[in-house]
Amino acid sequence: MGKVVGIDLGTTNSLVAYVRDGAPYVIRDASGDGLVPSVVSRGDEGTIFVGREAQRRLLTAPGRTAYSVKRFMGRGVDDVRDEAALLPFRVGGEPGGVVRIGLGDSEFTPPELSAFVLRELRQRAEDHFRDQGEFDYEVDRAVITVPAYFNDAQRTATRDAGRIAGLEVLRIISEPTAASLAYGLEKRDRGLIAVYDLGGGTFDISILRVEDGVFHTLATNGDTHLGGDDIDRVLIETVLSELAGSKEQDPAYTALVQAIRKSVIQAKWDLSEHEETEIRVESSPALPNGYRRQITRAEFETMIRPLVDRTVGPVTQALTDAGVEPSEIDEVVLVGGSTRIPLVRRLVADRFGRTPHSDLNPDEVVALGAAVQADILITGRREMLLLDVTPLSLGIETIGGVVSKIIMRNSTIPASGREMYTTSVDNQTAVDIHVLQGERELVADCRSLAHFKLRGIPPMPAGLPRIEVGFQIDANGILSVGARELRTGIEQAIEVKPSYGLTDQEVERMLLDSFEHAAADFDARLLIETRNEAETVINATEKSLRRPDFEAIARAELTPVDVDRIQAALSDLKQAMTSTERDVIHEKTDALNHATRHLAEVVMNRSVREALAGKNVEDV
Amino acid sequence: MTPDAIHVQPVSTLECRSCGAGAPVDEHFCPQCSRILALGRHGDYFAFLGLPRKLTIDQTDLERRFRELSRKFHPDYFYNASPTERLASLERSSYLNDAYRAVKNPATRIEHLLAIEGMPPVKSEAGTAKVPPGLLEEVFELNEQLDEIREARESGADAAGLSARLQSARAPIDAKRDAHERQLDALAAQWDAQIESGAAAEARRATLDALRERLLERNYINNLLATIEREVASLGIGNQDSGIGRG
Repeated sequence: MGKVVGIDLGTTNSLVAYVRDGAPYVIRDASGDGLVPSVVSRGDEGTIFVGREAQRRLLTAPGRTAYSVKRFMGRGVDDVRDEAALLPFRVGGEPGGVVRIGLGDSEFTPPELSAFVLRELRQRAEDHFRDQGEFDYEVDRAVITVPAYFNDAQRTATRDAGRIAGLEVLRIISEPTAASLAYGLEKRDRGLIAVYDLGGGTFDISILRVEDGVFHTLATNGDTHLGGDDIDRVLIETVLSELAGSKEQDPAYTALVQAIRKSVIQAKWDLSEHEETEIRVESSPALPNGYRRQITRAEFETMIRPLVDRTVGPVTQALTDAGVEPSEIDEVVLVGGSTRIPLVRRLVADRFGRTPHSDLNPDEVVALGAAVQADILITGRREMLLLDVTPLSLGIETIGGVVSKIIMRNSTIPASGREMYTTSVDNQTAVDIHVLQGERELVADCRSLAHFKLRGIPPMPAGLPRIEVGFQIDANGILSVGARELRTGIEQAIEVKPSYGLTDQEVERMLLDSFEHAAADFDARLLIETRNEAETVINATEKSLRRPDFEAIARAELTPVDVDRIQAALSDLKQAMTSTERDVIHEKTDALNHATRHLAEVVMNRSVREALAGKNVEDV
Repeated sequence: MTPDAIHVQPVSTLECRSCGAGAPVDEHFCPQCSRILALGRHGDYFAFLGLPRKLTIDQTDLERRFRELSRKFHPDYFYNASPTERLASLERSSYLNDAYRAVKNPATRIEHLLAIEGMPPVKSEAGTAKVPPGLLEEVFELNEQLDEIREARESGADAAGLSARLQSARAPIDAKRDAHERQLDALAAQWDAQIESGAAAEARRATLDALRERLLERNYINNLLATIEREVASLGIGNQDSGIGRG
C-alpha cells in the first residue's frame, strides 16, 4: 500500500503534509517552499503549468491562466456571473449546468483544474519520499480539507478532483477542525476552542469542545465568498478608479489588471508589517506612465473594514448555535493568510476578549491537521477523534415551494433522516423528489442539491403506498439517498442527478483522460488483495469438503440444509470471482466464511484430536 | 406526507450480519465475533446510551457516554473493514448522534420519552393554531397589544417607544414560560421517582399525560415569543449589540 497524505486544497495556495513518528510536517520543495499556488496555466502547445510557474504566467498569459478555481467548485454558471466579470480567464458553461473554465481553446471543469494542483502536490510528496530513500514512495490516498461551510455539491466536487488526480479521498474534513487537530496535538486537555479561518476565498468560524482527545464541533458558520481575494479586489478597484482612460475593451486590459493585482497584493502584505507603503505598477502598453500611490495602514483599514465586519455575523451565529458565550472560549485559533492583517487580529481579540493563538503558521496549520487525520485513519489509533457537523440544513421541497427540513444544520455527522412519501394519483409508480441545502424557508432561497426520481412503486390507489426515503450524510458531509416502500418492502431505484456536479461517468472519463492512471492501478491492486483472500477461503472450504471423513462429519454435525448452504455460498463466491466488483467479492467471502463457521470448528477440533491422539496430557 | 412515528419494535435479538450469531438488541458489538452489529430497528435512545428511562440526566455522564460510544462506532475506525461493518458503523454513529442530541436537550428528551412510552406525537400538534386552554387569557392579551403596536408603528411612533411596549407585552408570556419550565422540572422529578419506586402503570400514565400537555403549551409559548422576536426585528431595533453575544 502507498502513502496517505493530508492536503489543504486552498483558494490561493495548496499544501501537502505527512505524519512521521507521530508528528506532522509540511512537505517542501528544494528551496524550502511549502506552498503550491493554486494556479493552473495552459501553454500554446497544450502543456499544463501548475504552481509557481503558472503564477508567473498570470502576467504573460492571463487569458490562459486560472486561479481562485476553488470559488467555482460545485457551483453553477448562473451563480458565478458577477465574480467571473473581473477574472481574466473565460468562465462559462451551459445555463443550469456546471461551470467550465476556458484556457486558450480548451475547456476544463473546476474539479479538473483542481486535479492538476492535486497531482502537483502528489508529485511533490512522492519526490520527497523517494529522496528519503523510501522504497514505498507512491502516494495513492489523501485526506483533503474543505471550508467548513462548503455544501454537499462543493464537497463532492472536491472528492471528484481527488479521483481525477488518481487519489482515493479517504476523508474530507473541514479546515477549522483540521486546524484545531494540529493545535490539539500539543494541547489535548479539555476546553472550548474558536477557530477563525479567513483564507483566500472563504471565511469559516467553528466552535469546538475538546475533551479526552475528542474534538467535537459544536457549531460552524461562515461565508464561502469572503476572503483575501475580496480584499485584493477592493484595492484593484481603487487603483482602476484612479486610472482614468483605461478601457475594458483594451486588449491589454486583462494584463493590466493582473499587474495591478500583483502590486496590491504586495502592498497588502507590506501593510501587515509597516504603517505605510507604496502601490507601484510598472509601465506597460496599457499604462505608459506606470502608477504609484502611497497608502497608509489606516487608509487600507478603512477600505477593507466592511469586508472584515462581514465576519462578525457568522461568528455571533456560531456562538449562539453552540450555546456558548464569548467569555467561555478558552482558546482562539487563527487560520488563513488573511488573519495576518492587523485589523483582523484586533477584531478577533476584541470580540473574544483574548489574544488569539498564532504559534503555528496560519498558512500551514490546516494541512498539518489533514495529515494528522490521515494518520488516524490508516493507523486506527483512537486517542484522537474528530466529530464534525453538517454546516447547512438538509431539506426537501414540499407543496408550495416550501422546504421541509430533515437534517438540521450543526448536526454531528454522520447523520441520518427519514421522510415518508405517498402518491397523489391512483397507480402512480414514480415520485419526484427535490433535495436542497440551506436555512431559508423557500426553495428559491436554498441551494438545489439534486433531483431524485423514485421509481418502481407498486401500482396502488393514491395515498396508499408508504415510501420511506432515508437521507444519510456521511463523515465527509456528503449525502446519499435510499428508499423503501414499506407495504411491500420493495427497495426503490433512485436516479441521482446532481444539480451542479459531475456524474460518475464524467468523473470516470476525466480520470481516464488524465495523464496518469494511478487510481486504476490502485483499484487493481486492491482487487488482487481481495481475490487472494477469497481464494484462501475457497481453498480451505474445498479441502474440508474433500476430507475422507467429510461424510461422517456431515452426518454427525451438519444438517442437509447446512451442507446445501455451504455449497451455495461456495459457488456464489466462485461466480463473484469472475467479476471485478471488489465489494461483491468481499461480501461473498464473508458469506462463505459464515456458512462454514461450524464446519471449520468441527474440522479444527478433529485435527487437534488427531494430532493429540495417543499422547498423554503430560506430553502436551 | 405524514410525520414519521418512532417505531418501537418488540425485537429482542439481532442477527450479526458478519457471523450470523444472535445478539441481544441493546448490544453494539456481536458477542460471538465482536464485530460491529447492524442497527436493526432500535427506537429507544435511553437504552442505546445505556441510560435508565429517566428524565434527570447528568450532563457530564451523558457527554462521557457519547464520547466513549463515538470512539467505538465512528467510521474513521472502519474504513478498512468489510462493507457490512462499514455500513453498520455509519448507521450506529448516525443513530448515536441523533440519540445524544435528543437526550441532551430537556424538551426533546421528554418528547422522546413520550414517544417510546406510546404517547401521541407532540410535534404534529405544535404547528396547529389551536390555543391550549391554559393560555387563552395571555394569548388574547398579547394579540391585542401586538395589534396596537402595529397601528402605532404605522402612524409613525418612535422605535424606542415601540420596543419598550413590545418588551412589556412579552413579560407575561416570559413569566408563563418560566412557570412552565418549573412545572416540567417537577413532573420530570415525579416521573423519575415513579420509575424508581416501580409505580403503577396508571400513575405513570397520568404523569406522561401531564408532561405532554405542559410540553404542548411550552411549544406554543415559544412560538409566541418567536412572533414577538420577529416584530422586534421588523422594527429594526432590539439587537443593537454589534458585538458577539447571544441574540
